[in-house]
Amino acid sequence: MRSTVTVVAMMAAALLATACAPMRVSSHVDRAQDFSGYRTFDWGPADALPAGDPRLERSPFFQDHIQGAIERQMAAKGFERAAVDGVPDLRIHFHAVIASRLDVDELDYQRGYCPGSDCRSGVSEYEEGTLVIDLIDARTNRLVWRGWSQGSVEGVLDNEDRLVRKVEEGVRLMFVRLPSPR
Amino acid sequence: MKRLRLSLRLGLATLAAIPLVSCAPVHVDSYVGRNVDLRQYRTYAWAAADSFSTGDPRLDNNTFFIERLQRAVDDELQRKGFEVTTAGQSDLVVHYHARIEQRLDSSDFQYPESQCQSGECRPFIYDAGTLLIDVVDRRSNQLLWRGWVERGLEGTIDDQARMEAAVDDAVKRIMARFPL
Repeated sequence: MRSTVTVVAMMAAALLATACAPMRVSSHVDRAQDFSGYRTFDWGPADALPAGDPRLERSPFFQDHIQGAIERQMAAKGFERAAVDGVPDLRIHFHAVIASRLDVDELDYQRGYCPGSDCRSGVSEYEEGTLVIDLIDARTNRLVWRGWSQGSVEGVLDNEDRLVRKVEEGVRLMFVRLPSPR
Repeated sequence: MKRLRLSLRLGLATLAAIPLVSCAPVHVDSYVGRNVDLRQYRTYAWAAADSFSTGDPRLDNNTFFIERLQRAVDDELQRKGFEVTTAGQSDLVVHYHARIEQRLDSSDFQYPESQCQSGECRPFIYDAGTLLIDVVDRRSNQLLWRGWVERGLEGTIDDQARMEAAVDDAVKRIMARFPL
């Protein structure tokens, strides 16, 4: 019985180790740009760059979730969607990518074991997702702000609930860094 | 290992510490074409950006990165007496290429008992960024000169100020090898 519990505990630890690594969020901004004049936004042209994963490219849910999350965050920051026949102040464009990343297992060289009893020796591979959101000044056609969130998507892509939550969290954390219009 | 004399162990420890001092190693190099005399050229223009991904979606089509880089190169070239002009009419064409890839640094594998100053005595994977600048004769399409820098980029892209400083530094190092 004890060995089964140990195995289950180790598997849980392994899952946690990758899935719980914190999401990294940051942004670049055009510091010379005054954001107080921006009021309205609309969606830019669809992303022509490959997502790196056919599951993202084919999934209308993924696109929908991201668009929904972005629209909610923009509204929360005081922006409005432009009128259908109007010219927006900002155009939004997003780009999502999945890439394989390498990681080297944490080994305590002094004592010769791995913390958490989860020691696969050597280099391991995991999948990392990056969501990049661009805000472009519709008049000058220049990028004025770019935000991104990056994190492991192990066990996330095939689980729509988890995917939705990661997207929401990533977009929310990103938009904390966006200068508000007022 | 326990039988080693203290002096030898200290020596090994010092040796092991050296690669770690340069934990973000910067490597600069350049190539100049045979019989190239850059003094015969006066004007330059930037080539259109290539369509290759940098390997990092945070940097692809990132205006802040691209403009910082181009401005740094413009400053250096103009200081050396070159003038920027319209594409299609210049003496020289300047290209840049940027690429990020993961690398495994295992320089410490051989010294498992060494005492590293930073405490980071283990093989690690880091993001290596390479920035390359090509200067081409527009008429003959000959590559006259190429300079490049490669360095570790941990935490550099996420921090805008650090990214800008890294770009400025990289361009300065590359252009220091420009034969003019």
